[in-house]
Amino acid sequence: MTTAIERIRKSVVGSDGKLAPLRVMAASGQLGYGIPDPAFNAGLERKPHLIGADMGSIDPGPYYLGAGKMAQSDTMVRVDLAKCINGARKLGVPLLIGTAGSAGAAPHLAATLDMVREIARREGLHFRLASISADMPRDVVKTAIRAKKVVPLGEIGALTEADVDLATNLVGQMGIEAFQRALNAGADVIIAGRACDSAVFAAVPSLLGYPMGPTLHMSKIIECCSLCCTPGGRDTIIGTLEGDSFTVDSMNPTRNASPMSVAAHSLYEQADPYAVREPEGTLHTKEAKYEVVDEHRTRVSGSRWEPATQLTVKIEGAMRVGERAILLAGSADPRVIANAKSITAGVEKIVRELTPPNPAKPYQIIWRVYGIDAVFPWATPPDPLPREIFFMCECIADTAEEARAVATVTKQYLLHHGFPGRLSTAGNLAFPFTPPEVAASTAYRFNVYHVMDVDSLEPLFPLHIEEV
Amino acid sequence: MKLVDIAKVIRSKNAGPTTLTLDLLFNDEAGFKAACASKSLTADAIAKLYSQPRAKVEVLPYPPALAIKIVMPRRIVSGDPGDSDVYGAQQHGPMLAVEL
Repeated sequence: MTTAIERIRKSVVGSDGKLAPLRVMAASGQLGYGIPDPAFNAGLERKPHLIGADMGSIDPGPYYLGAGKMAQSDTMVRVDLAKCINGARKLGVPLLIGTAGSAGAAPHLAATLDMVREIARREGLHFRLASISADMPRDVVKTAIRAKKVVPLGEIGALTEADVDLATNLVGQMGIEAFQRALNAGADVIIAGRACDSAVFAAVPSLLGYPMGPTLHMSKIIECCSLCCTPGGRDTIIGTLEGDSFTVDSMNPTRNASPMSVAAHSLYEQADPYAVREPEGTLHTKEAKYEVVDEHRTRVSGSRWEPATQLTVKIEGAMRVGERAILLAGSADPRVIANAKSITAGVEKIVRELTPPNPAKPYQIIWRVYGIDAVFPWATPPDPLPREIFFMCECIADTAEEARAVATVTKQYLLHHGFPGRLSTAGNLAFPFTPPEVAASTAYRFNVYHVMDVDSLEPLFPLHIEEV
Repeated sequence: MKLVDIAKVIRSKNAGPTTLTLDLLFNDEAGFKAACASKSLTADAIAKLYSQPRAKVEVLPYPPALAIKIVMPRRIVSGDPGDSDVYGAQQHGPMLAVEL
């Protein structure tokens, strides 16, 4: 029986070695939030050579990586996975999914694989399932720290061996190499742990010999699906590699990929719009040309790939900080609003006296006054003051009970805090519901966001094959 | 002239948990050039607006999209205790008042 990658090779590589256009379908920019059917089905009708979907990101913060939980709901992940698996099996093309379960660590990968097996059983499907884990062996990272081969990405400080131990999950971003091993092993469906978004879409074309510059640039553009269009959206998109260029074509006819909208997408979530660093090299888009094909499609050429002289892996880890409880309350009293800062400071002082922090593991109180400066640390207060404000008082403590105790004491003293000129002596707060103090699960923080030089990628991202 | 009057997009977002980027996209070449030439959008001016050391702010014009990218460290690593904006998607407020 021929493998999925061999079937694509037969259909696109001519007897003279020339490469026919390769259609790469990006089903979802983030699997598990719903895939609109019309564009997804339109994509399948174009007979793509592969289907890819990204399932995670570091953007939603440290909780999901730290806790080993998915940001998406299980229900929606099952729906989206079934849609992609059924579509790929119907066409007989490989399905590649990156950063399984939001953060791509062992628990996320295991949960996603369970769902894939369950869908296969339910739908009576049989295929070769590859999984690639991305959990970094802690001894390897510690050895790299000692050899000074780990550097911070931005302002997060040097990585210590203690940080490596404290991270509840520690992953590395795999590149195209790992996906290609799975394809060469005959995989039909690849579920990868933490992975570079672009690797999901670039692995097949680069294995078949399509030029790396356009391949990587296309992958970078389509990984967010129709977000590169005007108006941007989440619909399925197809990128077609042809010669030294690629075109992007949203499967939603109302979303147009214009030279401007595609070029602008090269900026998105990137610190450097002209250079995108991957484990195996860097994509340079300085000379890229964006041209109109028609009002719906854009062609891009001129991107260049520079292979890395040193292989690197971006590593990510999150550690537990404590248990979080929050107090939620509003106010519509102009004098409470005008005195919000001094009121919260006064209340906090009383709370700290009534619930003395454990000196070994002191709790933290964090105030946010929405309407004043909770989202941005404005240099000056709003003028005029808002009609209403919203208090969110957060406590992070060693135990959930301690956090709840602090939040409830805060509630009572904030409600009845006296201040000069107070009129509303029956209560300073409006609670939309009770209890107004809510347990908000465990708090984590990123303590690893670094890049590590490595000699070889393969041992860090082990491949597992099974028949389902 | 205000930046909001000539820009079609003014957005902020994380580029990883330690970096904040602001993208300014313009409707036309004239607006883009005016913005590039403005003293209000130099690294110095942006550093002041965001209380950052001058050396940590980069302003990068990106002609293919008639865009200017601004890059700076986040005030706090995304999701650390005390963060106010995990995705960094609401840090563009000060740009809305910029006069060119």
